[in-house]
Amino acid sequence: MRVLRSLRLRLTWLFRRSEVETDLSDELQDYIERQTERHVASGLSPESARLAALRDAGGIEQVKEECRDARGTAWIENTLQDIRFGWRMLRKKPGFTIVAVLTLALGIGATTAIFSVVKAVLLAPLPYKEPNRIVAVWTANPARDNQPHSSTAGDFAAWKQRSGVFEDLAPSYDDEKTLTGEGAPQLLIGYAVSANYLRILGVEPQIGRLYTDQEDRPGVPKVALLSDHLWRTTFHSDPNITGRAITLNGSPYTVLGVMPRGFNYPTTVEVWTPAAMTTASFDDFNHKYVRILGRLRRGVTLTEAQRAINMLEAEVAAAHPDTDTGNRVVLVPLREQLDGDIRKPLLILLSAVGLVLLIACANTAGLALARNAERQKEIGVRLALGATRLRLLRQFAAESLLLATIGGAAGMLLALAGTHLLLMLFPNDVANLNIPKVTQIPMDRGVFLFAAAITLLTALLFGIAPILNAMGSKGGSAMKEPARGSAASAWSSRSRSALVVVEVALSLMLLTGAGLVVASFNKVMNANLGFQPDHVLALEIFLPPNRYPGNDPGKTRALIANVVRKMNVIQGVESAAATNYLPLSGFWGTTAFLLRGQPPPKEGQGPQADNRVLTPNYLHTMKIPLLRGRAFTDADRSGGAQVAMINETLAKRYFHDSDPVGQELNLGTAGKPDWWRIVGVAGDVKAFGQDQPTHADIYRPFDQYPFSIIAFTLRMDTDPAAMMKVAEQALWSVDPDLAIFKSIPMDLLASQTLAVRRASSTLISGFAILALALACIGIYGVMAYAVVQRTQEIGVRMALGAQRADVLRMILGFGFRMTLAGVVIGLAGALAFSRLLASLLFQVSALNPLIFSFASVVLVGMALLASFLPARRATRIDPMQALRAE
Amino acid sequence: MSRPTDLVQGTLDLLVLKMLALQPMHGWAIGERIKQMSKDILQVGPGSLYPALHRLEGAGWISAEWSVSEDKRRVKFYSITKEGRKRLRQEAADWKRLSGAISSIVFES
Repeated sequence: MRVLRSLRLRLTWLFRRSEVETDLSDELQDYIERQTERHVASGLSPESARLAALRDAGGIEQVKEECRDARGTAWIENTLQDIRFGWRMLRKKPGFTIVAVLTLALGIGATTAIFSVVKAVLLAPLPYKEPNRIVAVWTANPARDNQPHSSTAGDFAAWKQRSGVFEDLAPSYDDEKTLTGEGAPQLLIGYAVSANYLRILGVEPQIGRLYTDQEDRPGVPKVALLSDHLWRTTFHSDPNITGRAITLNGSPYTVLGVMPRGFNYPTTVEVWTPAAMTTASFDDFNHKYVRILGRLRRGVTLTEAQRAINMLEAEVAAAHPDTDTGNRVVLVPLREQLDGDIRKPLLILLSAVGLVLLIACANTAGLALARNAERQKEIGVRLALGATRLRLLRQFAAESLLLATIGGAAGMLLALAGTHLLLMLFPNDVANLNIPKVTQIPMDRGVFLFAAAITLLTALLFGIAPILNAMGSKGGSAMKEPARGSAASAWSSRSRSALVVVEVALSLMLLTGAGLVVASFNKVMNANLGFQPDHVLALEIFLPPNRYPGNDPGKTRALIANVVRKMNVIQGVESAAATNYLPLSGFWGTTAFLLRGQPPPKEGQGPQADNRVLTPNYLHTMKIPLLRGRAFTDADRSGGAQVAMINETLAKRYFHDSDPVGQELNLGTAGKPDWWRIVGVAGDVKAFGQDQPTHADIYRPFDQYPFSIIAFTLRMDTDPAAMMKVAEQALWSVDPDLAIFKSIPMDLLASQTLAVRRASSTLISGFAILALALACIGIYGVMAYAVVQRTQEIGVRMALGAQRADVLRMILGFGFRMTLAGVVIGLAGALAFSRLLASLLFQVSALNPLIFSFASVVLVGMALLASFLPARRATRIDPMQALRAE
Repeated sequence: MSRPTDLVQGTLDLLVLKMLALQPMHGWAIGERIKQMSKDILQVGPGSLYPALHRLEGAGWISAEWSVSEDKRRVKFYSITKEGRKRLRQEAADWKRLSGAISSIVFES
């Protein structure tokens, strides 16, 4: 009953405000009248009686306000009123509102967009069982710069046996397959994984079942699991796919099931087959092809596991120094493994965009401060009229919040429009980048919450300074004194100067960062590839072993010779050739080698070189310079003297000053030598990417060393993209059943390799320009306001004889001092920020003095430009008018 | 004039409820009545009285109605509700205990 009545009353108070207000007035009016009557009765004149009654009440407006507060619904009423009031204030100053909303929208929008990518990639839940315990296990060797790479089957068996930190350890390796009998032959990225590999990941097929340990053995009937993509396309989502027989590499396989749609570990794999490791392979410590996945024991952390393995290795190495290969084990958490090379750029972009957001906050705070300084008098009047400080504070907060909400909403729209642009960070058709597959960046609840959270945060950040400032003003004094004299306005102008300093400092950090990244990108772009990528088309194939068996190399030889001959005569083709691994494509296999007279090293510790195979015309086609000796010729055939070429890196590293031409390389073992005579030295080629170091390479002629991975390269005088069909026809005219893995112009491949770098470079530059523009607006706003504030002072100065040049110098000097302070602080910040950028830098020192000074000069120049307009306005002040103004 | 801080916190509510328990009255009359009954010791100013009335009304202890007073003016009459009476009994008991306790300490010896 009481609650109901109370509720009804509150609703009345809320929704029939004017009525309630009239009632309140009437009620208090009654008091005043009665009190006045009393004073009159005690002998006062009616006029002074009324004044005495009002004095007794202690301010009728204050009493009203306290009554409103006492109702308990006041806060809702007030909030609504505050919002309405805030809205009116924002509409009254459209210039301020538009600039502030735009600034906030850009800051919040950019931050939200980058966050949506971070969330979609780095924070997305992994679809695996307890992914925190899954690690990729790699070998690293000082001889190969400690870069993680595949391990030998022998290492795998040893680690599985003795490590003690793994609950389970599983082998896998690349296994490309050609699918036939389902329309055109199709080259599939295949992956051979042991049965427990899939159990470690904890994935279940969407149709059918995984294979068992019994099916994962050599010599049993072969089985396969299909990817969702392969099942949907080639097999038309056949619901009865399980049990179906398919032909892979000419052998029959039974389809056991289809993996779920999101399952893409490793990325782009289309078919999984049993690894079927033989017992004999576990004695092989030479061939590094096994990629290992492990699940840590429950309760064992990554650091503990790594430490345990390090200790174990040190023990074994100490006990058997003669067999120590120097190999070390590197554990990489699954999350990092999947994020690959995108993790660091994303985190860098997130911090860069965070700086932009901070600048946007500082900017809005500066604008709000300048505007509130104009309202100093209004605030004083309202305080005098009975507004409580709390109420004023709430009004400012409501205004800030309103502004931030509009800015945040606009920012969300910007982010929505912008995320698809960010997909350029993920060129999914590029096989040589180690980045996760991302086809869309969802704007989900998490992103929305994030945007809301940073909107609140910005409101707090830019709203706090004006509030503190306004609270510092005193009711009476603000009314009496002109704004220029009061202590509050001195505080306000100081805080505005501080904000400009902050903005300049933050912008300088971003500007130097962007400068370093862009300079690095240019270096990478212009890095000498070692070959001419323009006007070259590449066609990659993998020969199916059933039709091109390793023990019958004649077929492979004939195929390559015939295809190259056919391609050579295509209209517009200048020359055609073939190699095994394309430059920039990142694939590699290595071969151990020994120099004549060199003592045989310990097993696995000898020098290694990347194993490359070429047709005679390859150097000419790719325009790779020949430094010494000769290139391969048609005379270098099978059965003839075995010849090899080396690259400059190998020549420098192992032959130093002596001439390698004519020397011999043992590409077999110490006990069973296989000698190849060096006939020439070729220039270095970027094999792994423009920003990656070149390895030592050994080239051998295809005819003497047939290889089942082939990339044909054609140099032409026309657009290579237009020649794709013709080139493919030339291949199929020799063997119509060959599946083409990829045809791509080499300059496109070169450009795609730089996709992540280009995207991060573009984005960070964009952020820096945005920061610079925001800082300029901020400086302009503060300077323009300072000139208005000092109009009288300037007028006095000019009346006393100051020249226009003096005034100009004074105002510019003020701007310059703030900028300089910002630059000094910013340089310190930039030093810290550039360290963070290290992974995006290439041949550019993080402390590059040129870029640091250039960024400072640009910033100072822009700041002076932004202060120049207000300064010029100051010189046009008419002293007479300025003095009369007050 | 007695400012709200001069009255023990919550005492004003008790006094207002007590006055209204005697009979419904308007704001001015409540103040006058308190003054009169306390022999001019307690003087409640409008700055405390009216907010207190609104607070009590909002809480549902008292209700209000516009009506015409004996001197023919339109005034807001407050009257105590059933829950208000219960509240008064409880507060009065509390006050008795509290003031008795304080007195027993202050006037001992």
